[in-house]
Amino acid sequence: MKRCLAVLAIALTFGSSAPQAYLKLGALLNGRVIDATWRQQPIGYFISDRPGGGLTANDLRGAVERAAATWSSVESANVRFSFNGMTSAPAEGTDGRTTLGFIDRPDLDRVLGATSFLIDVTTGEIAEADIFFNGRFAYSVAPNGQADRVDLESVVLHELGHLLGLGHSAIGETERTSSGNRRVIGSGAIMFPIALSSGTIADRSLQADDIAGISDLYPKLSDHEAGGIVGRVTKNGRGVLGAHVVAFNPESGIVVGNFTLSDAGEFVIAQLPPGPYILRVEPLDDADPDSFFPGAIDTDFRVAYAPRMVVAPQGGSSPPIEIAVQPK
Amino acid sequence: MIHLRQGLAAVCFAFAASGVANAQEAPAFRAHQFTLGAGLVWSGAYDVGDATAALRGNGIGSSPPVFTLFSATSRVTPATSPELRIGYAVTPRATLEFGLAYTRPRIAVSIREDAEAPAQELPGETLEQYLIGGGVTWQLPIRMGSRLAPFALGGAAFLRQLHEDRTLAETGQIYYAGLGARYFLRGGRGAGGALGLRGDARLNVRRNGIDFEDQTRTYPTLSLAAFIGF
Repeated sequence: MKRCLAVLAIALTFGSSAPQAYLKLGALLNGRVIDATWRQQPIGYFISDRPGGGLTANDLRGAVERAAATWSSVESANVRFSFNGMTSAPAEGTDGRTTLGFIDRPDLDRVLGATSFLIDVTTGEIAEADIFFNGRFAYSVAPNGQADRVDLESVVLHELGHLLGLGHSAIGETERTSSGNRRVIGSGAIMFPIALSSGTIADRSLQADDIAGISDLYPKLSDHEAGGIVGRVTKNGRGVLGAHVVAFNPESGIVVGNFTLSDAGEFVIAQLPPGPYILRVEPLDDADPDSFFPGAIDTDFRVAYAPRMVVAPQGGSSPPIEIAVQPK
Repeated sequence: MIHLRQGLAAVCFAFAASGVANAQEAPAFRAHQFTLGAGLVWSGAYDVGDATAALRGNGIGSSPPVFTLFSATSRVTPATSPELRIGYAVTPRATLEFGLAYTRPRIAVSIREDAEAPAQELPGETLEQYLIGGGVTWQLPIRMGSRLAPFALGGAAFLRQLHEDRTLAETGQIYYAGLGARYFLRGGRGAGGALGLRGDARLNVRRNGIDFEDQTRTYPTLSLAAFIGF
């Protein structure tokens, strides 16, 4: 069995990172990418007994249990976790156990937490995943948040999304600060890679984009309610790679996004509640895109909209729609 | 004050008496006559909802102020469509009507408040819209010439709207009331067939159907048709 370890590929950062779309982690199998998912549930995990960030391991355990319950509560997805116990092992390395814990990483001065995986690249099955929370930050588990402290449950919720196989979402807007970092001014997904400011607890609840992503990875077999939108983004008649496509349902207000992931500019936004959607295309220009896409992507175009609303039909996908963008 | 009321009552009585007398000379269908009409109906525009794509703002607490990604206002555009009507004159004054109309309006979308793009109008999608309904016309006791017969009308219709990709249909109801007139080119004197033109203006109240705010909407329609009575 050939196994590949991907380490620190995805991390929640504090004010500086490249936003990435609601995407799924994948493994390359026979020339095509397959989803990296857990094939057996519940997903058992251990909590490292090391304190960190001003909190105890039991504080972390409580935050993990709450965040796990949040992911498990998604009605359209089949996700379950089980706490297997405390461990003295650190939340890193390949020991066959999925471990979450604090680790002091002063060298990663912008990284709140990160998830590493052991993936069977012949099947895409996640065999093990570890999450560390950077102990150099001051965390809080106060029910209403605590000023100047990062809400731990919010960070855990994000990292558990990675552990389940979700990549980052680009549904969010940032602005440059005087120090050159990026500050979030709006976020539409737990999986947005940059955390909200210290003291806020708004990231304890999943957004439509997160729900669509996890439902795509772990659909309930009985769920045929969702729909999808497919299409192409083109510039001067050629496909655009790396364009961020946001679907907005004007009736429900939900916002779900994804990227064009081929040179032909094709995109798929799956697991949408059926209904009409307005589609908005934007370049990935809120941060450095190189940290996500292995090759170059096209960011030289202006924000554009699909010429018409597109319906995500129940139990199916829309006919492909083409969205033409113009160079900046 | 008493004198004024008496005066108004006298005027109203005189108007009503004159109307009834003149209506006997106005053209009308004969009782139990069937009519068939075909023409065009123009439907006015109406909004189907404002919506804002909002992200969570970055602030303290569990519900900080939102960040607006963009806002959209959607409306059904005016459209002209064919309309068929079948009628049955219960009395010379009252006619039951059943109608069918097929329309292809668009849902146009106005985008605004996008921090990265100017306000813009999207062409929108074309709907296929079917209306099947029934109502009644009541010929008014007002004389407007020997060939012209004004009437009031009201009724209801079933609405079915199909999105452009034909993957989603939404249904609703239309309730309408209005005024119109028939111009009899032939007949209308109580015997034989009839031939003429008919026009009306309606105020429509639409419930359900495509609407992003689930609100009741109103819009006008104007129709012009030819009819025959047999």
